[in-house]
Amino acid sequence: MTHTKCTDPVVLEQWHPLISDRELADLGEFRTTLLERPLTIKHGARGIATVTADGPGASPKVLQQYGYVWASFGQDPNSLFPFPEFEEPDRRFVPTGVFGVNVSAGRAVENFLDMGHFPYVHTGILGEEPHTEVKEYDVEVSETRDEVVATRCRFYQPKAALASDEGADVEYTYRVPHPNCALLYKSSPADPSRRDVIYLFLQPMGEEWVRAHTGMCILDEDNTDESIRYFQQVIFGQDKPILENQHPKRLPLDPRAETPIRADKTAIAYRRWLSQKGLTYGVISVAA
Amino acid sequence: MTIDLSQWHPIASSSDLPLRHVYQAQLHGREFAVWRADDQYVNVWENRCLHRGVRLSVGLNDGKELKCLYHGWRYSNRSAGCTYIPAHPADAPARTICNRTYPGVEEKGLVWSAVDPAGDFELPEVLKGCDPLVLRPIPLNAAPGLALSRLADLKLEGGTSRQIASTGSYSHLAFDGLDLPELVLFVQPVDAHRCVLRGVLKAVPADPAGTLRQFNTALNRLRTLIEAAAAEAPAPEPIAVDFRPIDEELASMPEISRSGPKAELRVTVARKWETSEGVAAFRLEPLSGALPTFQPGAHIDVHLPNGMARQYSITNGPGEGGHYTIAVKREPDSRGGSECLHNAVQTGDVLAISAPRNNFPLRRDAVKVTLVAGGIGITPMLAMARALDAQGIAFELHYFAQSKAHLSFPELLNELGDSVVTHLGLNPAETSAKLNEILADYGFARHLYICGPGPMLEATRDVAAKQGWPDEAVHFEYFKNTQEIDDSSTFEVALARSAMTLQVPAGKTILEVLQENGIEAPSSCEQGACGTCLATVIEGEPDHQDVYLTPTEKAAGDKIITCVSRSKSNRLVLDI
Amino acid sequence: MKLYDYELSGNCYKIRLMLSILRVGYETQTIDFYPGAEHKSDWFLEINPLGQLPVIEDEGRVLRDAQAILTYLAVKHDNSSQWYPASEPARLGEVAQWLAFADGITGTASAARLHDGLFYDLDVEAARKGAHRLFRILDEHLWFAEQQGQDWICSGDHPTIADIACFPYVALSEEGGISRQDYPAIRRWMDRVKRIRGFVGMSGVFPASPAADGSAQTAA
Repeated sequence: MTHTKCTDPVVLEQWHPLISDRELADLGEFRTTLLERPLTIKHGARGIATVTADGPGASPKVLQQYGYVWASFGQDPNSLFPFPEFEEPDRRFVPTGVFGVNVSAGRAVENFLDMGHFPYVHTGILGEEPHTEVKEYDVEVSETRDEVVATRCRFYQPKAALASDEGADVEYTYRVPHPNCALLYKSSPADPSRRDVIYLFLQPMGEEWVRAHTGMCILDEDNTDESIRYFQQVIFGQDKPILENQHPKRLPLDPRAETPIRADKTAIAYRRWLSQKGLTYGVISVAA
Repeated sequence: MTIDLSQWHPIASSSDLPLRHVYQAQLHGREFAVWRADDQYVNVWENRCLHRGVRLSVGLNDGKELKCLYHGWRYSNRSAGCTYIPAHPADAPARTICNRTYPGVEEKGLVWSAVDPAGDFELPEVLKGCDPLVLRPIPLNAAPGLALSRLADLKLEGGTSRQIASTGSYSHLAFDGLDLPELVLFVQPVDAHRCVLRGVLKAVPADPAGTLRQFNTALNRLRTLIEAAAAEAPAPEPIAVDFRPIDEELASMPEISRSGPKAELRVTVARKWETSEGVAAFRLEPLSGALPTFQPGAHIDVHLPNGMARQYSITNGPGEGGHYTIAVKREPDSRGGSECLHNAVQTGDVLAISAPRNNFPLRRDAVKVTLVAGGIGITPMLAMARALDAQGIAFELHYFAQSKAHLSFPELLNELGDSVVTHLGLNPAETSAKLNEILADYGFARHLYICGPGPMLEATRDVAAKQGWPDEAVHFEYFKNTQEIDDSSTFEVALARSAMTLQVPAGKTILEVLQENGIEAPSSCEQGACGTCLATVIEGEPDHQDVYLTPTEKAAGDKIITCVSRSKSNRLVLDI
Repeated sequence: MKLYDYELSGNCYKIRLMLSILRVGYETQTIDFYPGAEHKSDWFLEINPLGQLPVIEDEGRVLRDAQAILTYLAVKHDNSSQWYPASEPARLGEVAQWLAFADGITGTASAARLHDGLFYDLDVEAARKGAHRLFRILDEHLWFAEQQGQDWICSGDHPTIADIACFPYVALSEEGGISRQDYPAIRRWMDRVKRIRGFVGMSGVFPASPAADGSAQTAA
C-alpha cells in the first residue's frame, strides 16, 4: 500500500462522504480517515456537523446533503450531483451500512455497475446460472450533467428484491455522477411507474482502502428497515472477497490493462471518463 | 540487488497440487495460480483473470478448465485460452484471449518455474539420479538473500551439519554423525521480504515420517533465526510488478479480419484409425509447442496434399489441448477431400491446418440442451456433449445412424452414459416420428443443436418449428450447401468502412471481389455453410443462398454470407 | 429450534453449517448486529448477558457460545457419534483442544476482520500477527495429517466439530488483511471442508469445484 498523501486536484475538489447524519446523531462524535488524513466529526446544535483534521493544515469544508456529512479539502469544491429522488416525500431513506473494503474506490464503483457477476457472486439472489446473458444496453456520458449513464440494462433475477419471489428480467438504470459515487435505479415492486434507488458512496481512506456507504431511497411499505439493511449487507458481503482479490487493487485506466467485453460498456465509459478528468488517485493512469 | 528472472526455482511440491485444487504461488513478486488438470498437466498462470484482475487462485479447477469466480469465464487446461464467456453465451470468445502462462516442470517431487526463462528447464546437477524425499516447505518473512546466507546454520540434534556447496539458489548440506541422506535446501524467492525454504533429501531415509518431523523442527528453528535477523532492519517494499498489456486488438474487440482459409499451423497425424464403418478418425498433434484453444463446435481448415482445403469439426472434450481429433467419412461422390484423407494421408504425415474457428458456438445459459446428430454430424455434437457433461448441464445426445457399426467414437459415447440415445436404421418416416417425440417438450431456456446430412437437418428444423421451438433456440451446422447457387446477377457493393465501391459481375462472388481488391475478408468453406465470411448489411436487400443463417436472420436482411449470397437490389452497402 | 443469527457473523455461520450438514431444520431470528447493535440491547442481554452471537433456543433451553452449540448439536443429532466422538477419549481430547484453538482464531483473525470491515477500534497489527502465528501451527498440523492420509484436523477418517469451528474465520481471513498464500495445507483442507456433503457457504465464502471422482460433495 502506498502512503503518499493525496495531491490529485480532481479528487481534492470533490465532496467525500464521511458518515450518515443519523449515525452521527447517535454517536455524537466520530473518528475516521479521508485521503489518508485522520478526522474528527462532531454532531453540534441543530444537527450541524463540524469536521476537524488532525495535525497541521486546514480542516476540510463541510456539506450536509442527502442524509450524509460530506467533506472536501478543495479550494472551491463542485456542487454535489443532483439526487432528486432523495427529496421525494413518500420515499423511505434507509442507509444500509458502512463497510471497510481493502480496494480502490474505482474498483468498487465498477463492481456496482456490473451485472455479469450476479449469477456467480450473488447466486440465487441477483442472478442464477444458467441465465447469464448480459443483453445489449446503452451507455452515454451525459454532456449536460457530466455523468456516465447506462440505460435499458436488463438481467434475469431469481429474487430481484425482498418484495419479489419469481424470476424475471429486471431493468436497471445506472448513474455515475461522481468519480466515487454511483446510483442504481430499478423498477419499484410497489409502484411500477417509479423506480427505487440504491446508492453506493465511497469514502477513499487511502488509495486502496475505502469506506463504502450503502443505502436505498425506496417506495416500500412492506419491509422493515432491518430487513432491507440485512438484504443489502448480504449482497455486499458477497462482493467483498471478490473486490479484495482484485489484482492490482487500483483501477487500471489503460484500455490494454484488462480485457473488456460488450457487457462492460459502462465500465469502459467510466474508465475513459476518469481518464479524461485527469484523475490519478486510486487509479493506474495510462502511461504517457 | 538485481534479480535474475531467467533462473528456474521450485515453486511448489508435487503434493501441493492435488486434483481439483488451485495453488497460490509467487516468484520475484509475480503471483501465480498453479493447478493440475485431470490429465496431470501442471498449469502455471499469472494469478489474474484477464477480464477484471480477480485472482485465479480463488477460482475453480474442474479438472479440465479453470473457472474465474467473478464472471464464470472458463480458461482451458494447457493453452490458458478463454473458452467461454457466460455474459455473451451466443458468442465464441476470440481465441486470443489467453492468460499469461509461465513454464511449469514437475521433477523430483517439485514443480519448477521461471519468470522469464532463457532456455528449457534443466534439473540442478546435485539432484540428478537421486530418489528424493521432499520436506515440508517453510515460508518465511525475510529477504531471499538473507535466507541463503544462513542456510548453513541448520542444526540437527546429535549431529553436525556441513555445507558441501552453496549457490545462488540452494545450499547442499550433509549431516555428520547422523544416518541421514544429504539435503539440498532451496530458497524460493517470493518477494523482496519473503521466501520459502524447500528442502529435498537426496534419498528416502529409513524412517521417512520421523525424518520429516526431525527436519521440520530444525527448519522451524532456522526460520526463527532468520526472521529474527530480518527483523533487525526495516522490511523492504514489495517488488513492483508490471502487468503485460493485453493484445491491442482485444482492447477494443474488433472483428477478426483475415482473408481466406488459413494454414498457420503444422500438425502430424499421430494416429489414424477406422472409428466406424467408412469413417476414419485422425489424431493431429503439433510438431512443436502447444495448439491454440478451441471451443465446442469449432472447426479447422485442413489443407490436403492434393491442394484442397476442407473443414472438419474438432471432437475434443474441454481441456484436451494436446491434440485435435477429427473424423472424415468416405464419400465416393465427394469433391476429393475425403478420398484423399482416407487413401493418401497416413500416420506420421504432416498437414497444414488453420487455427480453430467457431461459427457454431455452444450456449451454456440453458436449463437443458438437446443435441441431434446424423451420421458424421456426430463430430461437433461430441465436443458439445463432452463440454456439457463436464459442466454438469443437462443434455441429451440423439445419434441417428445406419447401424451399430456406423457409430463413431463408441468409447467416448460410453463415457457419456445415459445421456446418449442412439437411433439405428430408421427410415425417413421413422426418423421424423422419433424427432417429434424428442422435440415434444420445448421450454424456456432450452436449446437444440443439429448437425447431419441436409435432408435430416431440414426435417429436424421443420419438426422443431412445428413443436414451437423458436428460431433463436435452434442451432444447426450443414456439412455443405447442396442448394443450386444462382450467380447470374450483377450488382454494386459499397463498403462503408473502407470507403470503396466495387462491381460484382455474374459468375463471381462478393467474397472473391473483396479479396481481389485487397480487402481482408475471412472465409473457410466458400459454399455458404460455415458462416466464416459473414458481413453486416447496412443498406440494400440481400439475395440469400446460404444454409448458415436462420430464416429469422435472413428475413431481417441485416447479415449476408458473402461467399454465395448476392443482392436483389442494385446496390448493397456492407459494414466492411 | 431457533437460531439468533446474523449472516455476516462467522460464529453464526458455524451453526448454520453444522445444521445443514446434519440436515436439521430450524428457524432463525435475525439480530441487527450492525448497525443496530441489537446484540447489546437490553432484551438480548437477558438472553445472553455476554451480548454475543450465536444463541440457540431448543426445547426451552437457551444455549450460547458457538463451540458449545456445536457440541450440543453434534451429540443430539449425529447418531453415528462421528462429529463429536464422545466415547473415544483420545479423539475427544483432540476435539476439545482444537475447539479452544478455534477461539484463538476468533480472537485474532475475526478481530482483524472487524477492524478492517466494521472499523472496530483495536490493535489490528497485533491481531494479524496472532492469526499468522496460529495459521502456521494449523498448516503444519494439517500437512503432517496429510502425510498420514488424514484429511481432517482431528485423527480418524471423519471430520469433527473442530473442523467446523476452525473453518469460518480461516475462510474469512482475507477480509482482515490476512493472506493464506503461505498456508497451502490450510488451503487444501478448506477445499475438503467445502466438499463435505451438506456444506453451505455464507456471504464471502464460496463453494469448491466438484471432487475428482465426480461427486459434488464427499465424506460424511
